Amino acid sequence: MQRETVISIEGLTKIYRSGDVEVHALRGVDLSIGAGEFLVLLGPSGSGKSTLVNIVGGLDKPTSGRVIFKDHNLTALDETSMTRFRRDHVGFVFQFYNLVPSLTAWENVALITEIARNPMSPSAALELAGLPAARHDHFPAQLSGGEQQRVAIARAIAKRPEILLCDEPTGALDSATGIRVLEALAKVNVEIGATTLVITHNAAIGAMADRVIYFADGHVSRIVANDVRQPASSMRW
Amino acid sequence: MTMLNRKLRRDLWRLRTQAVAIAAVMAAGVATLVLGMGAYQSLEETRAAYYDRQAFADIFASVRRAPERLRDEIAAIDGVAAVETRIVDGAVLDIEGMMEPASARLVSLPDDGVALLNRVYVRQGRTPDPERPDEVVVSEAFAVAHGLEPGARLAAIIGGKRRTLQIVGTALSPEFIYAVAPGALVPDDRRFAVVWMSRRALAAAFDQDGAFSEVSVKLLANARASAVVEALDDILAGYGGLGAFERKDQQSHAFLDSELQQQRAMSMILPPIFLIVAAFLVNMTLSRLVALEREQVGLLKALGYGAYEVGWHYLKFALAIALTGAAAGLALGLWLGHGLADLYSRFFHFPFLIFHIDASVFAGAVLVSLFAALAGASLSVRAVVRLPAAVAMQAPVPPGYRRFAAVGAGRLSQSTVMIVRHIVRWPARSAFTVIGIAMSVAVLVAALFSQDAIERMIDLTFYRADRQDATIGFSVERPLATLADIARLPGVMAAEPVRAVAVRLSLGPASRRIGLMGRPQESDLSQLVDSDDRALRLPETGLVLTDMLAGILDAEVGDTVTVEPLEGRRRAREVPVTAIVQNYVGLGAYMEIAAVNRLMGEGLQMTAANIKLDPSAAAGFYGAVKVMPAVSSVGLQSVALQTLRKTMAENILLMTGVFTVLAMIIAVGVAYNSARIQLSERARELVSLRVLGFTKDEVSWILLAELGLLTLAALPLGCVLGYGLALAMTEGFKTELFRVPLVIERSTYAWSALAAAASAIGSAFLVKRRLDSLDLVAVLKSRE
Repeated sequence: MQRETVISIEGLTKIYRSGDVEVHALRGVDLSIGAGEFLVLLGPSGSGKSTLVNIVGGLDKPTSGRVIFKDHNLTALDETSMTRFRRDHVGFVFQFYNLVPSLTAWENVALITEIARNPMSPSAALELAGLPAARHDHFPAQLSGGEQQRVAIARAIAKRPEILLCDEPTGALDSATGIRVLEALAKVNVEIGATTLVITHNAAIGAMADRVIYFADGHVSRIVANDVRQPASSMRW
Repeated sequence: MTMLNRKLRRDLWRLRTQAVAIAAVMAAGVATLVLGMGAYQSLEETRAAYYDRQAFADIFASVRRAPERLRDEIAAIDGVAAVETRIVDGAVLDIEGMMEPASARLVSLPDDGVALLNRVYVRQGRTPDPERPDEVVVSEAFAVAHGLEPGARLAAIIGGKRRTLQIVGTALSPEFIYAVAPGALVPDDRRFAVVWMSRRALAAAFDQDGAFSEVSVKLLANARASAVVEALDDILAGYGGLGAFERKDQQSHAFLDSELQQQRAMSMILPPIFLIVAAFLVNMTLSRLVALEREQVGLLKALGYGAYEVGWHYLKFALAIALTGAAAGLALGLWLGHGLADLYSRFFHFPFLIFHIDASVFAGAVLVSLFAALAGASLSVRAVVRLPAAVAMQAPVPPGYRRFAAVGAGRLSQSTVMIVRHIVRWPARSAFTVIGIAMSVAVLVAALFSQDAIERMIDLTFYRADRQDATIGFSVERPLATLADIARLPGVMAAEPVRAVAVRLSLGPASRRIGLMGRPQESDLSQLVDSDDRALRLPETGLVLTDMLAGILDAEVGDTVTVEPLEGRRRAREVPVTAIVQNYVGLGAYMEIAAVNRLMGEGLQMTAANIKLDPSAAAGFYGAVKVMPAVSSVGLQSVALQTLRKTMAENILLMTGVFTVLAMIIAVGVAYNSARIQLSERARELVSLRVLGFTKDEVSWILLAELGLLTLAALPLGCVLGYGLALAMTEGFKTELFRVPLVIERSTYAWSALAAAASAIGSAFLVKRRLDSLDLVAVLKSRE
């Protein structure tokens, strides 16, 4: 199946300077990502995965190189346009959920649907992410880690993003809960067709991806394409 | 330096803006305390030393004409240590280049050496030679106001005769530290002089040879003043004695007392406000710091630091802020104190005025600021001491939020729900933020309302009550027919007589010596004003009292008061109180002029005249008054009002300015700390929203709308507190001499609210800048 390219990354480098020390987080990455593709990014800490995802999500700017999303050159956007881009096109899921503690599950999602252009309803998003309706009125402090992560996923997908970026979404969860979260991600990927990038340390997760991108020392060291995506439920770690 | 102290130093540096904001509030408290107590102590000690050095008398009595031989009789009164007799009278001065006349108080100096009591403090030149009757010493302030030096000449109308006086010296006196002309409210150095002359010269001028018109008495240490006053009254009764009075009723002394009382009231009311706010700020900031460093607390304990060592570490954070604030406050208080001393030296005439503060005030100020810090820190430090290491190392239980029926149910946006829930989640902090900002509004109201009060005082005094343009005072009673002569003077459009008599009013156990004013019933120039601001017609026979005097006598309308004249035949009468009127300056009792004359058993007499002037003919009037016989004083309302406004503009503006700045320090301190703490707690949450696509402004709104809501709630509360504070101040300032009317205009509330809101908005922008510059990626990576 030939996919249309939605994101092209060309010669991306990123150098962080702290004092006299220069850290080369990315050393020239080229990558084309197709519409609706499910990518898993694997690699050790500091290999550049997060930096790449942050730049693709419009959170950070590269030192050189370009990221083209459809017709937009992300790397040329100013601060306001970056915010606009995130608001309209990107959903984020983080390792530590980052929910608003003073809002219930439903309200955390509504927070986004209020500002998005063509959102689904908060309840639909929560359902898609797999949070039982009985839990919709609970505050984050009253939810388990897995439930909180599903709220975070619901919050990320409620705007029907074209790009869904997940940084260690299962990092803080036990394996059974992690698998349920991954199932939710896979379902969302299929149902709303969002191009999904999942960062993980866990090589087993690679089996559910269209492609697995291996990072090492700021480079893409290897790309493995899976002919068949395995369901998350079949995975063990 | 130990590692913990190094950590402390870095913590303080990291939180420097918040620490400085708290220290500033603390400094404001310490400064007002040092300023108030310092002013109080300086003034009181300077006055005491001055009185002591110049032998200021304890009891004073004026008399029409008493033979000098009474002196021995007075000296023999039980409890009397020293007696000084003098001749004291009034005169009109004609000063070159000044159209309007000035008034002078003529005071005799003994011909044979130095006075026993009330010694003048010669600043320049010498005392008059008794052989030269025209030599005089004038009060320094008057000399300075006109550039008069020893050698200069001065024209005066003394006892009806125009004389040219030769100035041989300038001087100060403990009797005239606060020197005001008869009937004036504030000192006017241009228009009022004290003129000291030789006894012989004054005796000749006022027909007082071998006699005196004033006696001063110094008491023995254990004497009973009231008994001496009574004995003195008895001795002087047959000679036209006007009633002896104690030092506390001496005008200059009473004004100083009133100032002292105000300073004391200020140091009771203001510093606690600042220190309470500072304690709350310490509490807010330290509990946040402790929450952030929860794991570090656990770690330190796990490493073997004792619970109290760790607690002490956090306590030192609060104490460091308190010491910084106290140091800054001491410096600020001293600086302001010198400014106040400067103001005093313009207002009060002391030969020396050193702004001196007891070490105990400094120590006290430092102690109370440390105490405020301790009080603020106690809860957090206790929590640190008690927190078990194992628990501390685990992540804290996330804050629980609750749904409220009213919140979130309606059509509120999720960001609004966040704002409201957050306020409700931290009720103590929200309440404190509201109270803190309200306190700043209150201090502003209390500072700014003095302007309204003065306008009200001016309105009542100059435009409703004493509406005359000028008042001419005579040294002795004149027949009422004199009024016709006055009415014929150039420029006089209307003239009304006044008959003032020294009386003692008594009702039950209370009694008061006072000048009873007799005025015509249909008086138009000088009016009495009732509590509804309506002009009140004098009753034909009854007595009208000012509210303060009625309060002192505990008299109500319908009560019968004993009126005992202290001059003439002294026959006491029972007179019913028929009305109570408002006034803000001094005490007053009024009767119809004919009734006063009947009371005295005399024919129709007057002691002063109120006059309405044609402004275009004022020069002619002044010229005529300067040569009119028997005139002892000339009061000019328009000049008095100008002087009052000028004095008030200088003093009030300075004080209002200072208090406005201090109040804004509170508002900034509270708003900034509150917003910073919120930012620290919610940075992660707010940054997540930025990542999710919220703009900077939308995110700032969530953070700052909360502060905005709290500020909005604080403004009306602040106005109410301000009213209370103003009430406390007017009560604290209330003396027999002055009452500050409790009048607060809406504009005062509005300005106060505006200034506090502006401070809060300013603080909000500082915090917004921080929020805008947060690094999204870095914040998300960090674990709370």
